[in-house]
Amino acid sequence: MFKELDPILHSQLRLAAISLLISVKEAEFTFIKEKTNATAGNLSVQLNKLKDAGYIDITKHFKDNYPQTLCKITPQGLDAFEKYVNNLQSYINGDGQEGG
Amino acid sequence: MAKEKVLTEQDSLRIIQEMIQKAKAGAHYERGQGPILWGSVIGFAGIMSFLEIYFKWNIPFDWWILTLVALIPQVFIVLNDRKKNIVKTHEARAIDMVWAVFGISIFALVLYGNFIGQITIQLLAEEDITLWKRSGTDGSLASFQMFVPSIASLYLMIYGFPTLVTGVVIRCRSMLIGACICYILFVVSLYTPTVWDMLFIGIAGICNWLIPGIILRRQYLLSVKTKHV
Repeated sequence: MFKELDPILHSQLRLAAISLLISVKEAEFTFIKEKTNATAGNLSVQLNKLKDAGYIDITKHFKDNYPQTLCKITPQGLDAFEKYVNNLQSYINGDGQEGG
Repeated sequence: MAKEKVLTEQDSLRIIQEMIQKAKAGAHYERGQGPILWGSVIGFAGIMSFLEIYFKWNIPFDWWILTLVALIPQVFIVLNDRKKNIVKTHEARAIDMVWAVFGISIFALVLYGNFIGQITIQLLAEEDITLWKRSGTDGSLASFQMFVPSIASLYLMIYGFPTLVTGVVIRCRSMLIGACICYILFVVSLYTPTVWDMLFIGIAGICNWLIPGIILRRQYLLSVKTKHV
């Protein structure tokens, strides 16, 4: 049987955000917003969902008197992403159909 | 509440690939200002030192002091880069570390070059060993001042390493060529007197940093311009 894809990651914007964060050490909110073409409000909601799941760390501080939000993937997020990709691969390859 | 679009496996795969590509493309490893600064300073100081020794000019100024002065704009470049960087990649961090180690190595080499001669003389003296040099003309003896032979060669060797690593990581051909020129000059400098070594250091500064810096700067400005079109 196919393993269920992680519902936290199986969403367009959350998957896009975590895929960006997997490739970098850390990124500002503005970078993720720019690359995903999302609205600030929607992105903020989705990032908070990832944070609540423990997949990313969000730190807020001030840089030159401007608020700055930094996002970073956690080891838990890394694991979840790896599992998601593996499960996705089995879906695409149709691995589960023969055995199940 | 708006319903989220249902993702197919192909959609997921496409998003992952697209975002990984975007993350790579969005990172600026180098804006060119640092290499331009250091390439200009090392190039100028090296060539001026060569001219001074070669033409026996008596200029009461050590051109290498300019490297200390260049630390001031370098601080501003680093601070400005930090302000502009909205993403920090693993590669950028590795490159930063390589340059930090390079800075420490250069500082260590300056210490070595300035102190090892005197320290060696002292250590030899503790063992009752004194070095003398005999004059080729009248045969008189004078105390021998220890020095590091061809220290410029060591600088040339060290100059090449961070540029080579950076060039490989960011796939910058001009940096790879610059680093190769450094290593060639290092080998040549083993056979040449100090005066020519100074010229080689100047050339190394220009090929290793100044030219790649100008190329990187142009690429960066072009990418900024395209982004805002």
